[in-house]
Amino acid sequence: MLAVKTDKLVKCYGKFKAVDDLNLHVEKGEIYGLLGPNGAGKTTAIKVLSGLIKKTSGTAKVLDIEVPNKLVSGNVGYMPQETAAYIGLTVHQNIEFFGKLFGLDKEHIAKREKELLEFIDLTDWRDELVQNLSGGMKHRVSLACALIHEPDILFLDEPTVGVDPKLRIKFWKFFTKMKENGTTVIITTHYMDEARRCDRVGFMRQGKLIAEGVPEVLMKETGTDSLEDAFLKYADIERPPVRPGVK
Amino acid sequence: MNMKRVLAVSKRVFMDLKNDKRSLALIIIAPLFAMTVFGLAFSGELKDVNVIVVNHDLGMDVPTIGEINFADDVVNNLDSEVLIIEYKSNLDSALEDLENGEAWAVIYFPEDYTNNTMASMNPMLDASSSIDLYIDMSNANVAESVIMETNSALLATIEDTGGGIPVTIERIDVYGENAEFMDFFVPGIICFTVYLLTTLLTLMSFIGERVSGTLSRVLATPLTESEIVAGYAITFSLVGTFQAIFLVVVGIAVFDVMIVGNVFLAFLVVALLAIVCQALGILLSAFAEREAQAAQFLPFIVMPGFLLSGVFWPLEAIPAWLRPASFFVPPSYAIEATRSVMLRGWGLDMIWPQVLALIVFAIVLLVLAAISLRRRG
Repeated sequence: MLAVKTDKLVKCYGKFKAVDDLNLHVEKGEIYGLLGPNGAGKTTAIKVLSGLIKKTSGTAKVLDIEVPNKLVSGNVGYMPQETAAYIGLTVHQNIEFFGKLFGLDKEHIAKREKELLEFIDLTDWRDELVQNLSGGMKHRVSLACALIHEPDILFLDEPTVGVDPKLRIKFWKFFTKMKENGTTVIITTHYMDEARRCDRVGFMRQGKLIAEGVPEVLMKETGTDSLEDAFLKYADIERPPVRPGVK
Repeated sequence: MNMKRVLAVSKRVFMDLKNDKRSLALIIIAPLFAMTVFGLAFSGELKDVNVIVVNHDLGMDVPTIGEINFADDVVNNLDSEVLIIEYKSNLDSALEDLENGEAWAVIYFPEDYTNNTMASMNPMLDASSSIDLYIDMSNANVAESVIMETNSALLATIEDTGGGIPVTIERIDVYGENAEFMDFFVPGIICFTVYLLTTLLTLMSFIGERVSGTLSRVLATPLTESEIVAGYAITFSLVGTFQAIFLVVVGIAVFDVMIVGNVFLAFLVVALLAIVCQALGILLSAFAEREAQAAQFLPFIVMPGFLLSGVFWPLEAIPAWLRPASFFVPPSYAIEATRSVMLRGWGLDMIWPQVLALIVFAIVLLVLAAISLRRRG
């Protein structure tokens, strides 16, 4: 069973096709990066997969269940691009609230909260209102809320924006650890150095997946030494999605 | 519906309000402010209205009684708390003052006023007497008050002279004995402030949720739309009840308001109104894209509540063709019900039509609010 599978997925806003014929196959326990410029359709694709918006046509399955479906929501963690934490609540109250939404008991929430606060380096800020935190700190709270229930699949939309480089490294170590525990991570990012840490990446442009594969293979195939250059090469080629190494 | 998740939402909304000192102040201070300011301003018995009396009445010498002057008696019967009386001998000069805005009215007694009044008391004579009341009608309230005071003084004078009034009204208070404006006003202002604040707080809160992305985020969890609406309903019905208790306590302590019926039934009505209003707030938030747009909804929330709910004026005071519009204003039912409970002592057996109307409003708006939260296609 694939963690995520889409076939000919289309999402339109009026006449505009934000996601166009997307065929995405993500294995369980994989870190999959969606790369592309603004407006490429990465966020829309993640929103459809998280069950936030309805698709226009095609299929979109998460853990073999067609989304949107509340059955799958309990196994999914979603961190949107916006801070999306309750600024009028403290860090603790935010984490506790999301824990309760996922049906965790008090003890479980307390244990996870302690771990997560250490991980996001906000233990000393536990009882501070989120509105008083810096942008990067708010982002970290948002990440903690997505992780509270140890989801099987984690959708992260630009999770490291506004996070200092030192903490970004820490984030990625954590994502790798989650992958080792069997969690599937689907991530969108602008940072190409980060994208190289993914098991596989998919290049998106104008709603379409123009290429996907292991970062090193994509670079090798295009004869480039960065994913950014590789993306530009693929973006110039008018042809169906290229999957180097896949016969 | 999972009650644990509903309660989690309810607690979250409550904590949000508790942590926000401004919202907290709004919940507590705004109703108190509204009750005090509106209450005192509207209860306004008119006082210190300047009038000029020009008394040319020559009076009359009655052999057995002595000299009588009915004009003096009328003037003595004018309420000196309401009217500040200035005396002038020259009518033209008095009218000049009236035209200059220095007085609201000039009461002119002609020379033969006592004579004619005496004659009019004799049924054998076809006589009548009158005084001239020159009045500035630019302020209807003040003018009405002067006319009423003058009439009362005239009637009192006739009674004093034993003239006798053919018909009198015997007032028997069925409900609200000795009720004053504040007694009428407090139930209304409770419902009005709960309506206004609950609708606005939910509206602002939900626009915030939509804009900040928290709404999308919680909808990506197992939480359902109806659980969100139910969670909000619990918190705001409790907040509404708290506001009602607070206002009733202050009303009793400060304004000595009258409560004849079961005050807990009134609280129940207010809680029901709060549920209706929070659903209305959620529903309205679907039509806003930015927090600043909440201000654009204000006239549509405030005006109907202000004008069509009967909080300040009875619904009978608005034109008959406009009255049906009040059927669509939820606080109008709550105000009528709480007034009936607090002033008439009515129970659920009497106020059930209003309670039923509020329940119908609640169900319809809760369903629509939940639908408005659904993910967009």
